[in-house]
Amino acid sequence: MMQLYKMAWRNLGRNRRRSFLSALALGMGLALLLLMAAVVAGEMRDAMESSIRLQSGHLQVRAKSYDEGKTSLAWEDLIENPAAVAAQIATLPAVRVATPRLFANGIVAAGDESVGVRIIGIDPPSEANAPFREGLVNGEFLSADDRGGILMGQTLANKLSLKAGDTINLLVNTSNGDVDEQPFVIRGIYSTHTPGYDQSTVLMPLAKAQAITQAENHASTVFVLLRDREQTDAIVAALQTSSYQINTWVQMNELLVETEQLSNAYMWLLYLIVLAITATVIVNALIMAVFERTREIGILLAMGMRGSRIMAMFFAESSLLAVGGIAMGLVLGGLLVTYATKYGFYIGSYGMTGILIGERIYAYLTLSDTITLTITALVITLVAALYPAMLAARMEPVEALHGGKGA
Amino acid sequence: MGLYLRLAWRNYWRQRRRTVIVVVAIGLTMALMMFYDGFVGGFDQAIYGNAVKVLGGNIQVHANGYGAKADQTPLLPLGDDQAIVQAALAQPQVVAALRRINTGGMVSSREGAFPVSIVGVEPEGEIPVSLVAQNVVEGRYLAANDLDVVFIGRGLAEALDVAVGERITLAGRATHSQMRRRTMTVVGIYDVGMREIEKRTVYISLGEAQDLYGLGGESTEVALSLKQIGQESAVMRALKLSLPGYEIDSWETNFPELQQALATKGGVMNIFSVIMLLIVGIGILDLLLMAVYERTREIGILGALGLKPHQISLLFILEGALMGLVGVAVGVGLGLLINSFLGRVGMDYSKFANLTEYTALLGGRVYPTLGLEKLPQRALTVVIIAILASFYPARQAAQREPAEALHYV
Repeated sequence: MMQLYKMAWRNLGRNRRRSFLSALALGMGLALLLLMAAVVAGEMRDAMESSIRLQSGHLQVRAKSYDEGKTSLAWEDLIENPAAVAAQIATLPAVRVATPRLFANGIVAAGDESVGVRIIGIDPPSEANAPFREGLVNGEFLSADDRGGILMGQTLANKLSLKAGDTINLLVNTSNGDVDEQPFVIRGIYSTHTPGYDQSTVLMPLAKAQAITQAENHASTVFVLLRDREQTDAIVAALQTSSYQINTWVQMNELLVETEQLSNAYMWLLYLIVLAITATVIVNALIMAVFERTREIGILLAMGMRGSRIMAMFFAESSLLAVGGIAMGLVLGGLLVTYATKYGFYIGSYGMTGILIGERIYAYLTLSDTITLTITALVITLVAALYPAMLAARMEPVEALHGGKGA
Repeated sequence: MGLYLRLAWRNYWRQRRRTVIVVVAIGLTMALMMFYDGFVGGFDQAIYGNAVKVLGGNIQVHANGYGAKADQTPLLPLGDDQAIVQAALAQPQVVAALRRINTGGMVSSREGAFPVSIVGVEPEGEIPVSLVAQNVVEGRYLAANDLDVVFIGRGLAEALDVAVGERITLAGRATHSQMRRRTMTVVGIYDVGMREIEKRTVYISLGEAQDLYGLGGESTEVALSLKQIGQESAVMRALKLSLPGYEIDSWETNFPELQQALATKGGVMNIFSVIMLLIVGIGILDLLLMAVYERTREIGILGALGLKPHQISLLFILEGALMGLVGVAVGVGLGLLINSFLGRVGMDYSKFANLTEYTALLGGRVYPTLGLEKLPQRALTVVIIAILASFYPARQAAQREPAEALHYV
């Protein structure tokens, strides 16, 4: 066995340039795939984290009849006395924070322009609002008793050319199916670096939101963040009551999970195509090697070497090529991924509100992606080597000795 | 040149097996690019095609300054809109030029509230050209002097749980930042089979809109319907001359975020395909280097016969270029096969309908085009990389000393 690899190594050394180039082709292919896998995984991970942080939380407790798609404010669709409900949930040890939120739809009008927005009534001191408090780029955060102030996303503020201190008119739907309108002062402008969210969300204190929508002591949801999202199921079991619906982050981000599955399926197709293309380069290099060495193979056969052993020799050669190529691919891919993890790619706004894609994508290479891709590359290279190895093994010793039928 | 080409073509087929493998690699790369182009093309077509059909108008004329603020649908009156209508109708391809007022607003009922775009239309003119007007499933379409009535989509009717004859609250904005709201009766419901779009667009009569937004006698948009999709650019060019000082757009320019998304993804695909082609290029380089060694004596003979080094180089470069070209041909065949199959079956995108304003227009399934949109550019890239890959072997061949090469064993 050792001898086989020693021979294979020497054989590769006979045409260094070609061996190097073939391995390089595999390396480039693998590096490209590692980068792509990391970018897609990073995009999906960031989207999920943004969603949990900004939109879905780990859990949301809502009234039984609440329909997320409609943003109803009718009392029967809301949670009554939400502060008490939230406080009760917060006593569970696995819960990091539980805070009531009220959702309404509205229109921001400034000067001659107007934009449809989602209005969220938040409990300002709650720790769950950290993304907005820390993301403040201008002005100050809301206080709980503020009756005339809002926070606005930076993307929206830029579109409307607004800054902290400006006044806007806000139109909001109300519990009885009507709409109400009031002027508000922009206390601060936040950025979550997620344009889809920042262009469509306005925040105000819960008490004011309840007043303007006539929801009184009601909220749409109790937004819950856990210490560890693995505990979701345990908490759901603990909270199970007949009076509320409990939504987990998995349910609320179903679309994202499906998108991830769909893009994974596409990616696999792509991996196979790219690796097939790299494999052709290696196959060609091996075919050339087989025909260059026709006489040599003839001698080996004439000396009594079995066809299977000759096959094994070429397999050893291709596995060495594969190992070299994979090593190059891991180094090259590792460099690319490290860069993309650190600096990311700027992609701007896709106008998405359903899936929260940040304005920058940061790569994230998982160990399982690395291992699967490495093994796939190895397997495909070895499968590709089957053909040239068979060509070599099937040669007739006498003909091969005389130079064969030519390549 | 013809002679070199013939020689290169013959050389090309001397190592059939290797050549076929390289050609397959190029073909796969090319087919992958075509698949992507076809997919993007189908996406584009679905969105713009449906935008024209459902939202109406191949071309829109707006007042200056509208485009920069298009997301906020500003109420910028057109001034002399009758003159625009006349100028547009003077173009032979234009079948209708209709005045509209287009703005954002919100509808609400006790069930909930939805942001919508509110379109004030001239009903009698819309009926022959508007898919929405032709697909009334309950009640009736708007009439010229309708007041206090609104025409909504089935998607919205279901979400708000309202039927014809019931009342909903419509809030929009007047020209000077004050909001206007009014309770209106649903006069009719349309169904174009796209619930997300139906949820986002409601119609009122132009007269009502002028009254509601304080735009007495004016409009903010003239929407032109053409005989066929595809005539947009010619008409736009003609109109830009006869209507200076207005913004004239087709739907292609009306979704900046879609443009951005497609541009980013296109850029990624370009980089991706160049890397793939570099890998393929290594294959070509390998193969030609091998050919140079195999043909050492031949090269010696050619040199002895008086071929200059650069002429020998040319032979190898032509061979590389031919590999690129044949690969492109194989790839185009493969790509056409894949895309025509997918174009018939379509790909399900209904889950993503409510993701953005533009995906709502997808209508569920995307049918890829044949992917020929960028073919010249893609083919050129392939051939250029093939030629670049053959430079090094070509130089090796050219540097052979004829006398030595002749004696090479």
